[in-house]
Amino acid sequence: MVQFSEEKLAKVKEIIARYPEGKQKSALLPLLHLAQDNFGGWLSAETMDYVASLLQIEPIEVYEVATFYSMYNTKPVGKYVFEVCQTGPCMLNGSDHIIAYITQSLGIKPGETTADGLFTLKTAECLGACGYAPMMQLGKHYREHLTKEKVDAIIAECRAAAAANN
Amino acid sequence: MGRKLLLEKAHVEGIRYFDVYRREGGYRSVEKALKTMTQEEIVEEVKKSGLRGRGGAGFPAGMKWSFIAKPEGVPRHLVCNADESEPGTFKDRYLMEFIPHLLIEGLIVASYALGSHATYIYIRGEYAWIPDILEQAIEEAKANGFLGKNILGTGFDCEIYVQRGAGAYICGEETALIESLEGKRGNPRIKPPFPAIKGAWGRPTVVNNVETLAAVVPIINEGGEEYAKIGVGKSTGTKLISACGNINKPGVYEIDMTISVEEFIYSDEYCGGIPNGKRLKACIPGGSSVPILPANLLLKTAKGETRYMNYESLSDGGFATGSMMGSGGFIVLDEDQCVVRNTYSLARFYRHESCGQCSPCREGTGWMEKVLLRLEKGEGKISDIDLLWDIQSKIEGNTICPLGDAASWPVAAAIRHFRDEFEWHVTHAAEAQTRNFGLAHYADPIHVPA
Repeated sequence: MVQFSEEKLAKVKEIIARYPEGKQKSALLPLLHLAQDNFGGWLSAETMDYVASLLQIEPIEVYEVATFYSMYNTKPVGKYVFEVCQTGPCMLNGSDHIIAYITQSLGIKPGETTADGLFTLKTAECLGACGYAPMMQLGKHYREHLTKEKVDAIIAECRAAAAANN
Repeated sequence: MGRKLLLEKAHVEGIRYFDVYRREGGYRSVEKALKTMTQEEIVEEVKKSGLRGRGGAGFPAGMKWSFIAKPEGVPRHLVCNADESEPGTFKDRYLMEFIPHLLIEGLIVASYALGSHATYIYIRGEYAWIPDILEQAIEEAKANGFLGKNILGTGFDCEIYVQRGAGAYICGEETALIESLEGKRGNPRIKPPFPAIKGAWGRPTVVNNVETLAAVVPIINEGGEEYAKIGVGKSTGTKLISACGNINKPGVYEIDMTISVEEFIYSDEYCGGIPNGKRLKACIPGGSSVPILPANLLLKTAKGETRYMNYESLSDGGFATGSMMGSGGFIVLDEDQCVVRNTYSLARFYRHESCGQCSPCREGTGWMEKVLLRLEKGEGKISDIDLLWDIQSKIEGNTICPLGDAASWPVAAAIRHFRDEFEWHVTHAAEAQTRNFGLAHYADPIHVPA
């Protein structure tokens, strides 16, 4: 069952208190981030319904927001999501080659997840790191000035981290 | 070397922390504003400074502040737009990462001037590590009496909250940002009413860019008139430029707006020239939405005068032969780049980011992407170029928010200045798949040998 811990519920309360009284729906984006981080990296219908109940809003109000913003995953994703920027300045600096290299290394196309559930490859539109291109988002942070060697190192790093957790 | 007002202290060790920032002269503007100035006097100083909105539109900030409605008993809000998403732009990120207290300081002064007791920073969701930096700065400011209840004993209360977006370029548009802040899809609102009358939760709201709010600090410290002495004409103060593409030294530079475009690209103090001795082909000087210029029109205006890095000079010649300062996202293309491909990449971006509310933008951005892709792949016809022109002309001006214009302008400018390259993709379809068009007639007047 989808349920935040006591500690997370206190955080939910604190977030709702940032907005005017009766405007608790404003907390929807932060709560969806919290829920996605907490419940497996994606938002299931059950998770979204739970968030709706916390904010006392209709589930449809959550669905329409969750499907609008690109950072919310409405389908399961791998443990590590590579979001490679492909817009203008990154493209000028070879992002297409990086995407092709990851596709070849992991055997997945953009939008797909490896069979072991470890990696998902996504293309992203401008992430605001144009001077440090090509780049990708991995979790909370950016990996910049990507080369094939750096991609290899990142994949190895993820595999090692996953092995250490098992 | 020009004066730095925002980033001068950005690399002092530990400047991210309150004690160091304060020791370096931080938070003086809060003391001065809250203890010695009225709200009207602050707005007046900002008007005198000539500060123009640094998000892209360049609207005078002081005037925007003076529009805020003050109905009795209705709270007002200041919202900081940190949704930096315009391709080529990464200056606000730099400012928030390196010198977060400068933004917090500007926010406190602006909140006081506008009467905002609950101020929000709306930051793009992908900058996921920055809210921690900002929240720490907020906590420190609070612990030292510069935020919270009864700031510095003046009776002014203010809280600052950080909200993360979740991946939507459109939320940089101020009414979409407000919708998103309210927990909705980022669909821009029809204006009027403007946010200054009816903004967040129906209350009077001012939305300002990060850099604009940071600039309030030197304006209050030195006075609006002193600030206005830096720069030229209506381009007062300093501007952060994020430079990227094919240059030796990509990064964020604070310029006073008197340097030439040529100096900015080739001087070692800034971009440091183009790698491998390549020649300049084109440049998008103000973020992906502004018109791309070929080298010959970039370095000099159509009248043959030197072009400078300021609002007036960059737009000299209008869209026919000029561009815009925009957000300061400066994208350089060298001789090996393909304009058709670059335009396709940007068109794909706008198709992805259109909120879907207005049909000309929702449908038109997708059509432009498709037509550009077939031209890029050598599968296009000459009539496709006219078709593209036709589509872009029917999006511009026909949408609720400026995303439609922003999607049209890059396509229009690319065809306007590089039509021969588009035609070559049709007439030499097979060759276009193996090599790029090159420089042709728009070579830069400067050739730096390898």
